[in-house]
Amino acid sequence: MDATIPNPLALIAEITHRCPLHCVYCSNPLQMVGAKAELSTEEWIRVFQEAGRLGILHLHLTGGEPAARTDLQELIAAARAAGLYSNLITSGLGVSEARLSGLVDAGLDHIQLSFQDSRDEPARWIAGAKGHGYKIALAESIRQLPVAFTVNLVVHRQNLDHIEEMIEFIEQLQPERVEIAHAQYYGWALKNRDTLIPTREQLDNCMRVVEAAQQRLSGRMRIDCVVPDYYARYPKACMGGWGRRLLLIDPSGQVLPCHAAGVIPDMKFDNVREHSLEWIWRESGAFQRFRGEQWMPEPCRSCDRRTEDFGGCRCQAFLLTGNANATDPVCSLAPDHQLVEIAQAASNAGGAQVSWSYRANPE
Amino acid sequence: MPPPSDSSLPRLAPGCRWGTQGEEKVVLFPEGMIRVQGTGQTILELCDGQRTVQEIVGVLLGRYSGADPAKIREDVSSFLEALQQKRIVDY
Repeated sequence: MDATIPNPLALIAEITHRCPLHCVYCSNPLQMVGAKAELSTEEWIRVFQEAGRLGILHLHLTGGEPAARTDLQELIAAARAAGLYSNLITSGLGVSEARLSGLVDAGLDHIQLSFQDSRDEPARWIAGAKGHGYKIALAESIRQLPVAFTVNLVVHRQNLDHIEEMIEFIEQLQPERVEIAHAQYYGWALKNRDTLIPTREQLDNCMRVVEAAQQRLSGRMRIDCVVPDYYARYPKACMGGWGRRLLLIDPSGQVLPCHAAGVIPDMKFDNVREHSLEWIWRESGAFQRFRGEQWMPEPCRSCDRRTEDFGGCRCQAFLLTGNANATDPVCSLAPDHQLVEIAQAASNAGGAQVSWSYRANPE
Repeated sequence: MPPPSDSSLPRLAPGCRWGTQGEEKVVLFPEGMIRVQGTGQTILELCDGQRTVQEIVGVLLGRYSGADPAKIREDVSSFLEALQQKRIVDY
């Protein structure tokens, strides 16, 4: 095996695609894994042990809704035993107060609780389900327990006009951190892009409000917020570079370099049921395909930024241009950058109808 | 947040804890980890929520004989303040 490849730092475990919410910007693939195909408790535990031996430090338990798995507490205990720092990314639905304290007792280190809005009605409209009030009550329970608490808020054209109110709302929940994430256009969010993409004016206002809040709340609540890549000059270093830091396991055990990699044609993913995690990290064709710089086209290949953003996002390149090897079109230097400018222009003209495709559930 | 006072009780914030990477001791927190070595490690290991800042400075003075107490107090203070900003330490 190629031992020169640095070990991964974090494992994203999509332990199920089942979810009580139907958010219009869900990052799950359109083709989801059903309950019957999910890895068993024992299989996940073996994977976590392998991850610990591979030097992985952080485990992000996500879904779907990870709490839809009845063995969640057992999985967290196994992660702790394997030396992993565990983070639960949850809507909160299905996590009762009693269950929550069981998860923390088992060794859960960090909870990221998602909110769709500060207001009940729009939250329900985005999620296609009730749950806002329940989340508020759960936040209070989380605050009583010895666990790190982050609130995740996805922002987009339909809620950015009251960003200030949303930050004040989150402040009342008293998390240590809030992650304000602009919707990223993969999976369901790409289907709904024209309704989600913010205007330039909304974005500029958002950055002003966030900056003021960061100063006001310094030392109390950390606010992370980055410019959405459609409006950035250069692409994001997607996943910290393909096959450089992270790996993602889907509910059926397939190991992917990122959430959306399944959209790229001719990708063959290896499965933890057939190979060790270490073998997959070093040898799997899916991980090797865009690792390093060999695959890069111009202008990336001779660009000084290639070691910072690694050519941007392969999935986005494919979704927008049809060619997974292209420079990420969000880059202002990309030959296909006009594709992103067109989407921006449509948003700024304010023409798009508000109509959603809600995320479905796996069978 | 103001800097810690003599009677502050510094401790790792919720969800921040010691871990190992290979042979190295690291502090794990939600967004990542930090390697803390040398004096930083010594200070952080003393932050157990039981000792006051004044007591921590006392322990360090005992270990590094000849050190300037005012300088040590200042170093402890700025170290803790920086980690508090990152929400890794509470005091």
